[in-house]
Amino acid sequence: MEFFRQTNIDFLKYKWWAIGASWALIALGLVTIFVQKGLKFGIDFSGGTAIAVRFAERPDVDHLRRVLDGAGLGEIGIQRYEEADKNEVLIRVQQQKKEGRDVAGDVLRTLRQGLESPTDPSKIDLNAEGKATLGARLAAADPDKMAGRSDVNAADYYTQAAERVIARRSSLGLFKSPADVASVDGVSAPVKTWLQANGYTGPFVLLSAENVGPQVGADLQKKALLAVIWSSIGMLAYVAFRFRSLPFGVGAVVALVHDTLITIGLLALFGREFNLVVVAALLTLVGYSMNDTVVVYDRVRENQKTPKKEALESVINRSINQTLSRTILTAGATMLVVLALFFLGGEVLHTFALTLIIGIVIGTYSSIYVAAPIVVIWKDFKNRRKLAVVPAAPPVPATPAPAAPAQGSKKNSKRR
Amino acid sequence: MTKKLRWRVLLIVLVVLGAAAGYVLMGYGHARKEWGTAPGGPSLKDALKSAIKLGLDLRGGIHLVLQVNTADALKAERDDAVETLKNQAKDAGLGAVELPTDTSFAVAVTAQTDATKLEEAVKRYLPDWTYSTGGGKWTFALKEPARRQMEDNAVSQAVETIRNRVDEFGVAEPLIAREGADRILVQLPGIDDPKRVKDLIKNTAFLELSLVESGPASEAALKSAYPGGVIPPQFKLVEAKAESGSREKAFYIVRKQAVITGRDLKNARPTQGQFGSHSVTFFLTASGSTKFGDATGANIGKRLAIVLDNRVQSAPSIKDRITETGVIEGSFSPEEANDLALVLRAGALPAGLVYLEERTVGPSLGLDSIKKGITASVAGALLVFVAMLVYYRRAGLNAVVALILNALLLAAAMSLFEATLTLPGIAGFILTIGMAVDSNVLVFERIREELRNGRAPKAAIENGFSKAFATIVDTHATTIISALFLLQFGTGPVKGFAVTLIIGLLISMFTAVFVSHTIFEVEYGRRQHIDSISI
Repeated sequence: MEFFRQTNIDFLKYKWWAIGASWALIALGLVTIFVQKGLKFGIDFSGGTAIAVRFAERPDVDHLRRVLDGAGLGEIGIQRYEEADKNEVLIRVQQQKKEGRDVAGDVLRTLRQGLESPTDPSKIDLNAEGKATLGARLAAADPDKMAGRSDVNAADYYTQAAERVIARRSSLGLFKSPADVASVDGVSAPVKTWLQANGYTGPFVLLSAENVGPQVGADLQKKALLAVIWSSIGMLAYVAFRFRSLPFGVGAVVALVHDTLITIGLLALFGREFNLVVVAALLTLVGYSMNDTVVVYDRVRENQKTPKKEALESVINRSINQTLSRTILTAGATMLVVLALFFLGGEVLHTFALTLIIGIVIGTYSSIYVAAPIVVIWKDFKNRRKLAVVPAAPPVPATPAPAAPAQGSKKNSKRR
Repeated sequence: MTKKLRWRVLLIVLVVLGAAAGYVLMGYGHARKEWGTAPGGPSLKDALKSAIKLGLDLRGGIHLVLQVNTADALKAERDDAVETLKNQAKDAGLGAVELPTDTSFAVAVTAQTDATKLEEAVKRYLPDWTYSTGGGKWTFALKEPARRQMEDNAVSQAVETIRNRVDEFGVAEPLIAREGADRILVQLPGIDDPKRVKDLIKNTAFLELSLVESGPASEAALKSAYPGGVIPPQFKLVEAKAESGSREKAFYIVRKQAVITGRDLKNARPTQGQFGSHSVTFFLTASGSTKFGDATGANIGKRLAIVLDNRVQSAPSIKDRITETGVIEGSFSPEEANDLALVLRAGALPAGLVYLEERTVGPSLGLDSIKKGITASVAGALLVFVAMLVYYRRAGLNAVVALILNALLLAAAMSLFEATLTLPGIAGFILTIGMAVDSNVLVFERIREELRNGRAPKAAIENGFSKAFATIVDTHATTIISALFLLQFGTGPVKGFAVTLIIGLLISMFTAVFVSHTIFEVEYGRRQHIDSISI
């Protein structure tokens, strides 16, 4: 099977249209960010608290909000996760003025107190307690009469039982009633009976809690920005070194900045949050976009080696055509993988995958329409300046650059 | 098959077998550790499952970044210096002491002050301090190197203390590391009691036993006993631990100079009182026993405040001379008593801690993430395989084999280097597959081109590989550069992603070029003449 058989498309003919389109996309992103008053940072960068919990039934967000308003934590955002059947919510609390308050702990306590019907305080919340506490409570009660035995360490024995109970809770999602304890494998009947008698099932289980202080957030912002800048500089250096040519290096880096800007802008447009994982995706993108550009450049370099004299523009056009099949195929294969992540990878990888989906499309486009044309435009510009100082030079035609000056540019590059 | 080719095949087989063996052995190693002393042993399935170390986001656990409040340690140092100076230069006739900052203090110098004696005492006992005179007082400041040293010590000591506490609590494979000047990173995999562990770590556990002057009463009532409502400098006001049920805050006035502190403790353990109440019994060191015996013997009938982290836990009356052991009573829950005994054993923190960052992943989220990550990976890989087979037919099979080997070697490398697999790491794993396809595509397209240009199949294969090679190196180098920067910047999960990507790319150089080329040669090499190849 073959999609592209010796294509001969004059890509560079449309370069000014492409540049216009790129600017339009960049402008769209910048305007979006401006209208939204800056990027929507996740708590990684802005600081604050995010807590994810799972309920037994579909939670009433308004009720949760009323309960949490009593905690005196300022603005609280509650959002249901996209998978409706999961009954999961994400609670966000803004950065507290005083650092060091246990916000996550306060939120969980307030929720428990507000949602639970009052119970005997000595009873154990089977949906909340961890392995260590549950194990210790079991060891204290000792339903299997392990304390006197010399061959078994009672504490280890009950910790293992607690671990099994929690593993079962994880695979069920949460315990709906103490009767669910009966389905735990590998735990003795007396332990189950004791847990059912002394336990109750709280309204939710904690999935994750994150609390990032303002200092850490600011540090991460700085680090992320530096990582993107330094990796761009690293790319510029590598390409300039590999191709011994500044215009190639500049073309590659302009393409890279172009991809990053457009991707960030579109993420803002889609209302996505900017967090650590997005930065990781952006840096991956930087690598991917550069990868694509380098393939085209490599072909240009190879085609320039032939003795036949040929205008730079036509060499580049030919190179893009020759690598077109590879460009599309690789983008396609990577896209398949990323689509799988997008649809099946779950909440955390969703934004990561979306960033890459946008990035792959833009990166493929930019290696054809940004990186290569810049080399041509750069060299045209230099030639034109050179020609301008020679009085007898023929009038410089408007774009696209004809063969003659471009040929000159090829000689220039050889002289280097 | 030529001799050279035979060696290449052998090398590939050895690498694959070595990787598989390494993976299984690492797996058994980890699984056995987890299995512990329980009877039986891990099965092959357990070993395969535990060969790769999972990050906190997949396994569940807590990630904490703490900041050490080094000012506390400096303040303590300053107070020590003031105390030393007062004791050592007693007869120099010192005036009032002021404490303007954490690292300086001033002593008023009056007409009767003997400057030589003071100078001598400073030289001898306060080598870390500089002083200047003027304005009727001597102003002391901590020397810069000494200050840095003390801050450094406070952080190292905090790291040690936290490690002791975590070890006592019994966490498998904890990570406790210093980060930068005054931060500490703590990662506790598999912990699902975040609140308890956080309290345990942050508890300064600074224990003081001091004689009570007055109390319990409200702050105002206690102060009114002194002229002008100012508490004399040898005493201090301490809040009592809140009793359940009462809203009113109670206070005590105690002597500043403690009878004994946590440093005099040899051991501590939770005990149960007669009415089922929980308490902590402590045992003193030899020198602590002497001090405690002297003080209690001289103050029978008075009350002794047990002050923990600046809260009075209880204030029993001294009925008799006590030497070696004492009991801390408070309304503790069994867990609280247990944890308090633990932190008293493990030692006090030299300075307060603040949580800067805290991430908890519950066990069920980790389980969910693994399931989804694996589903997405398998689906993504299958899609790519199908696409390669449809597009390149028989050569596509070649690419599929190379990709499967890539995945296998990547898994083995992750396990052998003990790299941590995180959720973004799984994304890196699958992304590597997507990008490793690129090398195959570059070669195959090149071969097709050579065939179109009329070259014989064998020459086309050779040319395809050699011409694509430079490009493959370039594409890998660029991606690895960006991943290296990611490694520098990233924390936890993101770092896992970068590691996976870098190892994966290095392996893909081997599989997509060396392995794939070898397969082509095995397929077509022995025949003298080939009419066509399936690509």
